[in-house]
Amino acid sequence: MSASIDIHHLTKRFGALTVLDDISLAIEDGEFVVFLGPSGCGKSTLLRMIAGLEAVNEGEIALGGRRIDTLPPGERGVAMVFQSYALYPHMTVRQNMAFGLENVGTPRDEIARRTDAAAKVLEIDHLLERKPQMLSGGQRQRVAIGRAIVKEPRAFLFDEPLSNLDAALRGRTRLELAQLHQRLGTTMIFVTHDQVEAMTLADRIVVMHDRRIEQIGTPMEIYQRPATKFVAGFVGAPAMSMLPLSGVTRGPLGARLEVAGVGHIDSAVTLPEGFATQGASIGIRAEDTRPDAGADTGADRGTGAGPDMNTGSNTGSGPNTGPGSLPLTVDVIERLGDRTLLHGHLPDGTVLVAQDTGRSQVAPGQVVPVGVDPHAVHVFDAAGRAHHAGEVR
Amino acid sequence: MSGTAPTHGHSRTLFWAAAALSVLMFLPMAWVLVLSVTENEALSRGTEAAFSGPYTLKNYTDIAGNSGVFRWFANSLVVAVGQTIGVLILASLAGYAFGRLEWPGRRLVFVIVLFGLAVPEQAVIIPRHQIFSTLNLHNTYIALILPGLSLPFGVFLMTQFFRAIPPEIDEAAALDNASRWRIFWKVLLPLTLPAQATLGIFTFLFAWNDYWWPLISATDKDMYTLTVGIASSQVNFAQTEGLGFLAAQAVFAALPVLIVYIIFQKHVVTAVSGGAVK
Repeated sequence: MSASIDIHHLTKRFGALTVLDDISLAIEDGEFVVFLGPSGCGKSTLLRMIAGLEAVNEGEIALGGRRIDTLPPGERGVAMVFQSYALYPHMTVRQNMAFGLENVGTPRDEIARRTDAAAKVLEIDHLLERKPQMLSGGQRQRVAIGRAIVKEPRAFLFDEPLSNLDAALRGRTRLELAQLHQRLGTTMIFVTHDQVEAMTLADRIVVMHDRRIEQIGTPMEIYQRPATKFVAGFVGAPAMSMLPLSGVTRGPLGARLEVAGVGHIDSAVTLPEGFATQGASIGIRAEDTRPDAGADTGADRGTGAGPDMNTGSNTGSGPNTGPGSLPLTVDVIERLGDRTLLHGHLPDGTVLVAQDTGRSQVAPGQVVPVGVDPHAVHVFDAAGRAHHAGEVR
Repeated sequence: MSGTAPTHGHSRTLFWAAAALSVLMFLPMAWVLVLSVTENEALSRGTEAAFSGPYTLKNYTDIAGNSGVFRWFANSLVVAVGQTIGVLILASLAGYAFGRLEWPGRRLVFVIVLFGLAVPEQAVIIPRHQIFSTLNLHNTYIALILPGLSLPFGVFLMTQFFRAIPPEIDEAAALDNASRWRIFWKVLLPLTLPAQATLGIFTFLFAWNDYWWPLISATDKDMYTLTVGIASSQVNFAQTEGLGFLAAQAVFAALPVLIVYIIFQKHVVTAVSGGAVK
């Protein structure tokens, strides 16, 4: 039976406060979809509405073509894993997992079979007679997932299930969830504010912001072609640097983007005629920059300003600036091992983060010319809508 | 004691302060216990006999010799157990409704219930007597049990306890296809056991020690509770002539409460120290 989820014009209000405004979304059978967004964007509320824990004010939710928003939670065919795990503290692991099956009158031997099978898969079979308070956070998490699996639901709902785990365990559990999805092939919806979880787990990401869906797309679409300025700023670490756009002229590859007091960036973006620069901005990811520390650091640098880099004639203000680059005064150096992030500012005060190699020799206070990949430049109009260069690569 | 000895100055002071208070609390009880096994005649000459004897168990055998005592004991047991069970059922259901369910007027009704905490028994005793008199219920177990069932403190305690249980527990159970009754009975109620134990002990203690209402309602000697019965059997000058017997009666009356407390001690400590759902 298909387990596609269709959400039509869903609206949710708490009193006078609208928390979800006219949400429509179609999730394919077997798809792993992540709702990503900052706190308070409505992503958890949307998940809870699918689960039946919040009433629907307007709109419809259908699972496998059957309307479910009028059904009680237990009859929707979904299982949910809560952020706090919500295990029954007075029941053993086995009883926790069996409770849902007992409620629907599943025969005892069938309950035992499913519980044992799920426990084995999750490697918690030695914990079946323990109570939740005798388990570690990671073990509780597995029990919560086990409790969902034994019900053999048509869709799994995860409400930030990894946020209470430490970093190492979070990474491991993330991987196991991905494997679980591959093995079961069941529709899964996962709510998180963690973009790494979203990027690694999702077939498609639904980015939510301020009661609405900002963008729906594959992780790479979201990352490389963010539909709005919000998505561009929210997805990716460090956040995309935003430079104020002051003018547009024709360049060799597309639009030549002027930044008042700094210079220009040649981009491969094609902007519509009469594009209004008032309130518009240029988005640049750190990994699309090529800081050129010049002779000082040239010896150990793997990359320089390659043939794709900007080669225009910028107005350099520092000693190391060269043609086609932004003069970045480095304020803070963040070493991440394999790469180095240079946090600095441009002559107009705009903050920019550039990425150098792991063995970067750049020092704070140094002015470094930074080249920008013209194909990776994003332009956002005053309303926040994005314009990109070329195709998704 | 030595195993739990404090290691630094501040907690050492606290330890000795608590020890001193414990001794202070225990002294009167020990005094009554010693008096209860001291001969009446020796005590009538002066209470210093408690330190010199002669000691005897006659005071206790005298209790057994009083034909009414076992009947009163049974009455007290019926009333205390009945009231405890009734309060636990009512307070749990009310606590669930106030702490867990959304319904119009919930806050208002809760406030009205809490107002009950401010109304002393003395203020309602005459109308209560008249109601039971009109209904011809005096000298029945119903009359002895019923007034104790309206316990605002119990409702308050259970409401707070139900509120402290994370809502995700109910939600998980709802997703597990459990009916509202099953969620209450199988999931939430077991989690309130510490509070149930505390409330149960307090209710039992209160009902067992209650004197005033049974004195008014139970006029038939066969319907006396232990407190009323023991008081009625005291003759004039009991304080001076039958001090040992009086003390033995006090010990006898306190025993069931002590036993109940010892059995449920763990739950009481858990509840009083605020350990709800971890």
